[in-house]
Amino acid sequence: MLDVFNSFYGLIPVTIAQSLIVSFVVLGVMLPFRILNFPDLTSEGAFPLGGCVCGTLIAAGVNPFLAVFIALLCGFAAGCTTAFIHLRFKINTLLAGILVMTMLYSINLRIMGRTNIPLFTYDTAFTFLAGSAANFAWVKIAIVGGLVILVVAAMLYFFMSEKGTSMRAVGASPDMAEAQGINVSTATIMGVGVASALSATGGSIMVQTQGFADVNMGFGILINGLAALIIGEAITGRQTILRQVLAPVIGSLIYYQLISFCLTLGLAPADLKFATGAFVLLMLALPNLRKSGGGSQIREKIRE
Amino acid sequence: MTEMLSIKGGTKIFYRGTQDERRALDGLNVTLESGDFCIVIGSNGAGKSSFLNAVSGKLPLDSGKIFIDGQDVTKLNAHRRAQFIARVFQDPMIGTAPTMTIGENMLLAELRGKRRSFAYGLTAARRARYREQLAELNLGLENRLDMQVGLLSGGQRQSLSLVMAVSTHPQLLLLDEHTAALDPRTAKLVMDTTVRAVEELKLTTMMVTHNMEHAINYGNRIIMMDAGKVLVDIGPEEKSGITVMDLIDRFHTKSDAIALQGA
Repeated sequence: MLDVFNSFYGLIPVTIAQSLIVSFVVLGVMLPFRILNFPDLTSEGAFPLGGCVCGTLIAAGVNPFLAVFIALLCGFAAGCTTAFIHLRFKINTLLAGILVMTMLYSINLRIMGRTNIPLFTYDTAFTFLAGSAANFAWVKIAIVGGLVILVVAAMLYFFMSEKGTSMRAVGASPDMAEAQGINVSTATIMGVGVASALSATGGSIMVQTQGFADVNMGFGILINGLAALIIGEAITGRQTILRQVLAPVIGSLIYYQLISFCLTLGLAPADLKFATGAFVLLMLALPNLRKSGGGSQIREKIRE
Repeated sequence: MTEMLSIKGGTKIFYRGTQDERRALDGLNVTLESGDFCIVIGSNGAGKSSFLNAVSGKLPLDSGKIFIDGQDVTKLNAHRRAQFIARVFQDPMIGTAPTMTIGENMLLAELRGKRRSFAYGLTAARRARYREQLAELNLGLENRLDMQVGLLSGGQRQSLSLVMAVSTHPQLLLLDEHTAALDPRTAKLVMDTTVRAVEELKLTTMMVTHNMEHAINYGNRIIMMDAGKVLVDIGPEEKSGITVMDLIDRFHTKSDAIALQGA
């Protein structure tokens, strides 16, 4: 038992670094689901898109910071596409997300020209900032953690600004938002776009820490993100915008430690996705199990 | 007197060319003078809601034109028209954002139809102003600026909706059976507040109602609709002194087919 704890303890820094990177994706899952009431699956495709774009550019000798920025823009475009498909052709949000995600797989392959690009020999944003210390977990934590704090602070401020309040109104009551002169379509497209941009940013950072870009990276990242979001919200609650914005980061930090703990305890990696899926299902079903029939307040609402 | 709202030849046909074709608005002509408080009545399906939705921009017309304050707004969609129009919905759940706070809802209303900036929203100055505006309701909402609107009762939410609508002095106030979902006591409270605000601020108002007492007691004009047209238009001179029985008589002489409710 002791060696289980020892190996778990040893993995903590690596896991923190990983969960901080994924917290971009969790923020990107939270924004459409919770703020816009727009269940969005684009993250599943935007995360590898960000990775593939960034990996390809770095391998081509482009400055890694510029590569991250371009990856972010590509993610933004992917999210805008999903929202546009939903708004323009009245296609269900989930189906629109699946369409974009599926098409992105081919696009990712086309961008890279092969399924995998190793980046070990190239300069990344981390080697730029930390030189030879770039591979230490705590260095990664400091760099990514700093960026996460910046992003969370920016989101917090935005959602309390005049523009951000309007975007939240679009999710809370689209009819009311429209009656107040808010362009519901624009707000939705921008919001889902930013969410996918966040996911793509996560992917672009991930390839630089793991040292390779792969077209299959982040398979199932959306369910992981959702699980992390649910855990985070169970801890912080959702009453204020501060809690809502903190939930993804806190949830991601805890969720990946839980996963790491389960793996060191002997959970087969093959069973991981099933376990995560079962967990998300349980958390979503719980409010309905507790009070059968009613439960109108917590019931998940899906915009048609 | 200037024209505040005018709809000319407004026509909207649902399911055109099918068996179910229905003329919701059939060459509708209505003009409201500035300061008019116009009550719109009529049986279900007469076109009241379509009229309101056409004015607000929710329902684009097939043909005809709409002018607000002299401007042709026919081609503007709903969120663009919001700069002229404030609206209170029948369902208290729709008119406010339930998961946002009272203060944030007031902020959304204050910025109706204006450019929204990246500046911080709920500033101290705004909070103070909202408290003042809410205090006039005597519901204690002024002390609950940070409370989620979803926790309020239907009557409180509808009162809040009304404050949000009138506090910005809209050129046109649309009330869509806004007391229909409330119990009689709360309905009276909301109605009294409505009348006070409309008279104080001299708002041009259009109120759809099924309540004949309200139609008689409030406003300076009654428009009775049927089959997407104006059936009877009772102006200010005639309206004072009219009774529920008179109204029903007018209804019957014009069309026996209309069934009146609430009379």
